[in-house]
This record gives sequence, C-alpha cells and structure tokens, in this order.
Amino acid sequence: MIQASGQQLGSASDLEAIRDRLGKQRSDDAKCVRICIGTGCAAKGSRKLYELFTKAVEETDTKVEAVTCVGCHGFCERGPIVVIQPGNVFYQRVEEPDVVEIFRETVIGGRVVERLLYEDPDTGDKAATCDEIPFYRVQERIVLAHNGEIDPTSIEEYIAVGGYAALAKALTTMAPEEVLEEVDRSGLRGRGGGGFSTARKWRSCRKAPGDPKYVICNGDEGDPGAFMDRSIMEGNPHSVIEGMIIGAYAIGSSRGYIYVRNEYPLAVVHLKGAIDDARAMGLLGENILGTGFSFDIRINRGGGAFVCGESTALMASLEGRPGEPRAKYVHTVESGLHARPTNLNNAETWANVPAIINRGGDWFASIGTEGSKGTKVFSLVGQVVNTGLVEVPMGITLRRIIEEIGGGVKEGGTFKAVQTGGPSGGCIPAEHLDTRVDFDELTKLGSMMGSGGMIVMDQNSCMVNVARYFLNFLREESCGKCTPCREGLAQMLHILDRITHGKGQQGDVEKLEQLAELLEVTALCALGKTAANPVLSTIRYFRDEYDAHINDARCPAKECRGLFRYKIDEDECKACGICLKECPADAITGEKKVPHVIDQEKCTLCGMCWDKCPFAAVLKV
Amino acid sequence: MPTVTIDDIQVEVEQGATILDAANKAGVWIPTLCHHPAVTPQATCRICMVELDRGEWKQLVTACNYPVRRDITVSVSGDNAVKARRGVMEFMLARAPDNEQLKAIAGRMGVDSTPWPTVTVAQRDCILCGLCTAVCDEVLGLAAIGFSGRGVDRAVAAPFRQAPDDCIACGACQAVCPVGTIQLRLHEDTDEIEISPFKARAKLRKCEQCGARVVSEPTAAEALKNVNVDWEKIRNLAKLCPKCRRIRAAESLAATASGTPTKEMTR
Repeated sequence: MIQASGQQLGSASDLEAIRDRLGKQRSDDAKCVRICIGTGCAAKGSRKLYELFTKAVEETDTKVEAVTCVGCHGFCERGPIVVIQPGNVFYQRVEEPDVVEIFRETVIGGRVVERLLYEDPDTGDKAATCDEIPFYRVQERIVLAHNGEIDPTSIEEYIAVGGYAALAKALTTMAPEEVLEEVDRSGLRGRGGGGFSTARKWRSCRKAPGDPKYVICNGDEGDPGAFMDRSIMEGNPHSVIEGMIIGAYAIGSSRGYIYVRNEYPLAVVHLKGAIDDARAMGLLGENILGTGFSFDIRINRGGGAFVCGESTALMASLEGRPGEPRAKYVHTVESGLHARPTNLNNAETWANVPAIINRGGDWFASIGTEGSKGTKVFSLVGQVVNTGLVEVPMGITLRRIIEEIGGGVKEGGTFKAVQTGGPSGGCIPAEHLDTRVDFDELTKLGSMMGSGGMIVMDQNSCMVNVARYFLNFLREESCGKCTPCREGLAQMLHILDRITHGKGQQGDVEKLEQLAELLEVTALCALGKTAANPVLSTIRYFRDEYDAHINDARCPAKECRGLFRYKIDEDECKACGICLKECPADAITGEKKVPHVIDQEKCTLCGMCWDKCPFAAVLKV
Repeated sequence: MPTVTIDDIQVEVEQGATILDAANKAGVWIPTLCHHPAVTPQATCRICMVELDRGEWKQLVTACNYPVRRDITVSVSGDNAVKARRGVMEFMLARAPDNEQLKAIAGRMGVDSTPWPTVTVAQRDCILCGLCTAVCDEVLGLAAIGFSGRGVDRAVAAPFRQAPDDCIACGACQAVCPVGTIQLRLHEDTDEIEISPFKARAKLRKCEQCGARVVSEPTAAEALKNVNVDWEKIRNLAKLCPKCRRIRAAESLAATASGTPTKEMTR
C-alpha cells in the first residue's frame, strides 16, 4: 500500500487522484490476509494470529500484499475469523496451529483448507466465502459494509473503498440546506434509542441562535450485551468521523466531540488515530479540502457511568462536571454543551450519513418500513446459536433475525423471549416473533428499538429474574439525582427481590405497576422514565410466572434459587459417584450400582450436582 | 409577556420565568423542597410536579424550572398532578419517615403516611435535594461540600469524607436545608462552631466589647475580603457583635452631634 497519510489534500480532485492510485493497488488478485481484531476475535487470541501470519510472511519471503488487522465481521460466535484474498476465503475458529497450514495451502498454494470453513449445521455444506453463509445472506450492510474489509488504522484503505467521497460531494457540490434535505429525504432516525428524526434535529440546531455550535458523537454505549457502536468505532472509525464532518457542515458547526467510554480502549485508539490521519490529510481541521469549511474533533473518554449515555449527562461530563442529567425543557439543540446549540447523535447514526450522501436519501428511504428507514445494527446475544453483530433492513421480522441469522435457540432449547432495547426496553414473547423490526412496532409491544441490543432467552430464563436483573442494573447506574429514580427503583427492586426469593405478597404485581407508572411521569431523565419497561413488559406477557412465584413460591423456569429442588432421576443415574464426591454439603448418598439420592434436608441448592452430572440425571423439580 | 393559566387563574409573567414564579404570583401553593431563590433550580426533589396542558397532550413537569416561553395552561390541583406529587412525597417519607419538616409539608399536601418501607439509608433524614451543595458552590463559590457516590449511595459529603479545608463554617448550608439534616454545633470549651455532619470546625470571633460569639473567623475574613474596602472603621466594627456595633454607632453619632470627634472617627 502506498503511503497517502500526511499528504495535504487541497481539493476534492486531490482526493480522487489519491483514491485512483490507492484503488489500483487494491485489486482482487493481490494476496491479502485479513485477521479480525474485533473484541470477540481478539478475546480468542486473534492478535497472536496476526503476529504469526506477519512472521510467516517475513520468514518465507512470499509476496503478500498485506497482512492486516480488520474490524469486527459480526460472526463473533465463530471467531477468530481470517479472510484470505484472492477468493475471499472465509476461515472461522482459526487457532494458532492452523496458521502454518493456511499459509502453506491457501496463501502460497491457492488451495482451500476445507476443515476451517463454515459448515452449515443443517445441510453439512461448506461455505468458502461469507456470502454463502446464512448468517450473512439475510443481512444488508450499509454501516458495516466495510467492517472486516479494511484496516481501521489505515486512512488509505478507507479512501480506497470510497471513503470521504461523500464529504467531498457535500462540501463541493451541495449547500448545507441541500445536505439537510438529503438527510430529511432519507428518513434517518436516531440509532441511539430515542429514534428522533435526524434531519429535524440537525435543522433545529442549525436554526438555533448561538455560536459556536457543537456536534457530538455519543459513543457511550452501555446497555448490557450491546456492542454495535463499539464495533463501528473500532472497525471503521472514519465512517463516524466523515458523518460528523458532513453533519457539522449542514448544521454550521466548527467543533465536534466524540464521547467514548474508556472501557473501549481499542475504539479510543482507532478513533484517535483516524482523527490524526484525517487532520494530517486536510480532511479535518482548517479549510477542509480547500473549501473554506473548518471543523475539528476532539475525543473525550467517559468514565463508564451508564447515565452518561443520556445526552444532557454526557454534556455535563464533557464540561467536566459530574455526569448527571438535567431537565430538557429547553432542548439541547438550543442550549446544550456550554449552553450553546448542540447536536448529538450516536456513532451508528453518524456512520449512516456518508452512505446517504453518496447514494441519495431516496435510496436510503427505499429500505425499511413506512416510519423506519434504512438498516439497523443489532448485537444478537444470549441463547442463540450464532451470536454476533448483524445489520438488517428495518421491517425484517424478529423471527428471521433469530431463526435465519441467529440459527435459532442454542442447544435445542425452546425460544421464550427476546429482550430488545437494553434496560429501557422490554421482553417480547414468542407470539410476537413475527413483528417487524421498526421503531413504532417495538414500542407498541412495550419494548423499544433502543440502541440495538437483542438478547435471546430460552425456557431456562425466569422472566421475573430477568426483570430483576435489569432493574438492579439500573438501580446501580442511577445517578441518584432525582427522588423517583433513586427511591422508586430501590422500592421496585425490594419487591422483586422478595418475589424471586419466594416471599412475594399478594398485590406485589399491582404495586410494581403503580411504581412503574409513577416513575414514568416523575423521573428527571429517560433512564428513570423508562426504567420500569423490563418489569412492565414481563408482567404483560409473563404474568403467570409472577403469580407462580408469589402464590406457590415456585419458579417455573427453575432459575430462582430456593424455588425449586434438585432430584436424581433413578432411571438415568449410572451411580458413577461424581455428584456424591462434588457435593459440598455431603447431601448425596449412594453406593456403586445403586442410584444416588439427595437428602433434601441437607441440600443447600448450590447446583453443583446438576452442573457435574455427566448423564444429566440430576433434575430440577 | 406570556400568560400562564394556573387552575383557571390567569397571571402574566416575564419571558423565561418559571411556572413556580407564576404560581406564586397567582397565589397558588405548590410544595417545594429543593427550591430556594438564592440558587438555580435543582429540580431534583420532584415534589413540585404540575400538569402542563398542551391541548393535544398533557405532560407532567416540574414547576420550579419549567420556563414559560409562551402562553400556557397549567393544572396544579388536577388528579394527575396531585397523584404525582403524592407519589414523590411517599418516596420521601419512606426515606425519612420521622422527619418533622417533611411531615409538615406532607400534611399540607394531604399525605399522612407512606405505603412504602424504608429501603434507602438517609444520613440524618437527608433527601439529597442539593440545596446545601448549590449554595456552597453558587453563592459562596467554595464548593466545600458536594455529592459523593451515586444512586442509593449518593450522599452529601466533603471530599474523602474528611473535615473540608475549604469550609468557612458560615452556616449557609444549614440555613437552606429544608429537612434539618445539617446542624450547627457550638463547642463552648474551644469556642468553635461545627457544621455537622461534615465535621467542619472553625474558631468563633468574639465581640471585643462584650465577648459574645459573633461569627466564625474564616467567614468574617471572607466577608471582609469581598467588601474590598480598606477602611479601618469597617474592620473595627467587624470585631463587634451586632448589638455592640449599634451601641458604638449611636455613641459616635451622639459625639458628632456634640462636636467632639470620637476616637473611632479619627482613626
């Protein structure tokens, strides 16, 4: 790859000239090894794979165009993922010893290592490229289009695949109003949770009096099980930056901030590098591409408080004050950061902008439903076969996401519910699986789109306990500034705690509903206002589970400790003695060839026997 | 000037005034705890919820910080507003069930008990309204105390929960505290004043004339610093208690009248 970074681009044609040169080097025949260093793959040791491949190239003196680290492919379940060019050969679950074989066979020999290919669990067919894998086939990638394809630390690779073309187009051929109109036509709505019209927000901010105006990228993703923004910031940081520059141009802002949580160290490093590279090339800073438009971005690292994802709390944190929200009776587009007009969008929203400018608002609006346009990235996690990051067109059914892309429920379990929208969202049961993914449809079901977490749960999940989990999370993350959130969540948790301990009282469900209603109307910010959603949605769809806990001190999913017993199935027990040895309470008795028995008096319900039994002879009853 | 219609009473208020300002003008009582005219609205206690009637939809807002920017209609005595305020007060009573000040306001609101148990620990009935920290920060410019912890662990404290160096023991926090959490303690043996529970202590200045305890030494120093007049007379008067100060002033006036300059005036 030629070095382009550091070259000042004085005009849009300079950018095109560089893209031309870079594009020629990036032919499909060039030998390339791309190793995913997204969070999932990195956790499984993909960094080491990168080192091994690099070493192999050096030692064998093979002509390989590049060994690069790339961002998340999304198929985290099958990581680490290595893609070899030419041929786009998609290797999954690659381990260190495989490197030699891949290098010898594929990189040098041009042959495919069959055993490392993805195998369809139903048909047994091998998939040589990712296009043949059902997980990818159903997806439609706009935001994640170049994730897994380019090196996030190289501005050259981003430019080579068409990066900053949208910026050049906007700055040189469009007036700010035209950019606003294009975004308006696209129907883009905020991907951070609220789903507010992006164009309307931008327009209000443009109209608001005050100088300077700020644009902010909210990268403080904190929902349990969510990693959409993380993967975008880590895997394609320039797309976020390009979106922000275009937005700033439309709004008339000269200063931007990216607020990213410090727990995302790789995102911080990649964004920082990307900003430096963009600045060095004249794509950021003074007089961008010689057009006279100036805009610069600073990164601020968040300390990890969940509430800092709330826009006013985030701005307080940016100002150096404690991250606590304030009333939004005067909107942040009028008076936000430092009491100036401020436009805040999350990372995914910004990353959509370049595609909209490049391909037009009408194209974007052709994807999706009446009220929700484009695609949405979801992090599909929980009891689903293919966990990972997926991008789907709006309007796709939950069933297709979970069954076709996700491959259904893990280990042959039965689907019970899917939790969407994080702690502010709710649980959607099986009967609503054919609901189309859309901001308004999900809200009707008592859940919400949220930022895109999607947690699949099977029959072993107790819905009361799920509600308790999310409520506990919020109680710990509540800043404590306003009375209803601080006291109300503590009261609700108190009730849920006693229900999950089998000490629920008649009327507890009604009390929870009463508290939920009060919180919704009196809390200061969205955290408190929506905090009761997980409780309300589980009451709505799984009332019988609440009743079983309260009336019979029984947990139907057999998850709440103390509300079920362990029993050994005499027919299944092979009298191996493992449970007997493992039981810390010496509650199991038995001899060779005699089925073992649990003494219920002594049993502490720790579940060790259930965990350890190799024959699944220990039952929860 | 926009018109605010509160429970059918119409009042005009300045642009940007709050609903609470309008209610005060209209003579409609809205309970408040975290509100004090000396500091910016906190809107933390949520006891002042009222219902805004926007025609197509209604919305509960806090009266203390909702800015009036156009003609609006507000309901204070409507069911939704009363229910919301009652709900918030019940949370407060659960937190500090025996607090007299709280019970008095609750009584006026028609709330005589709470259905909820006490599940959060309050430091001496503190309802975390934030007035003390706001007055220390915004008015005194000291920020000797602030919030520590978050959520149910939130508490008003000095840094590291040590006696704060920045505290001048002026007692402003005690004066604005709506529930009596903050108390002034006099230590006769050492002539010190303590701001409890922050463990802040300061020597008391004694009246040169009669020996009465006047004010904490650092507060007097801070006050004089702010006066910024290098006039010995003021410095000397500050050494006296208000009573002796009056006597001294009267003497000085009498002396002026009789034509004999006093020692005080020649200084």
